Amino acid sequence: MADEVTQQTPLETPAQPPHEGTQRKRLAWAIGIAGWLVPGLGHALQRMWARAVVVFLAVGLLVVAGATMRGNVFSSNGGDAFDTLGYLADLGTGSFYLAARALERGGADVSHADGDYGTRFLATAGVLNLLAALHAYEAARGRKA
Amino acid sequence: MIPANGFALTHFQAFLLFAAVISIAFGFLGRRRPKDRIKYILWSFFLFLVVGVGIAWAMYPFSR
Repeated sequence: MADEVTQQTPLETPAQPPHEGTQRKRLAWAIGIAGWLVPGLGHALQRMWARAVVVFLAVGLLVVAGATMRGNVFSSNGGDAFDTLGYLADLGTGSFYLAARALERGGADVSHADGDYGTRFLATAGVLNLLAALHAYEAARGRKA
Repeated sequence: MIPANGFALTHFQAFLLFAAVISIAFGFLGRRRPKDRIKYILWSFFLFLVVGVGIAWAMYPFSR
């Protein structure tokens, strides 16, 4: 029994000053939020350049393609739960949401397949960016590389 | 630049664009070494194609 305890002790996380952990947590939150606001910024701040560029281009390409295919960029005054969910997904693109609104001057046209695909592209861009921001947060916490 | 009436892509082009972008993003986020990334991207892209075309064929009898 005593041996088990002795063997388990080295596996525990090394003790660190409490303020260091809190600081790291705050920094991780800041990095996560930065990554959400500007796609790829969360990774760029951690010098993960390839990931930063890929996230920026992937989210940007999906937003530009979605908006110019006349996809639906949902707004906050949606009529039903699907509109609200669409709005939340679109908001996931952070500042690119404003770019999508600016690009979508002609309004959405989901009566054609292009517009419908555009709506999906925009939602996918948002969810992908949220995933990337979460990845940047986890990397900043030291849980992922 | 961007045409005034927006991009016009066929179903298959939109599908290929989606599969390529998502595969590349997942490959870079999910893997660290370049070789692993390339393998992941190619495998993921292939699976997108197989599953997408498979579902399209499965739905074909109900489309008309």
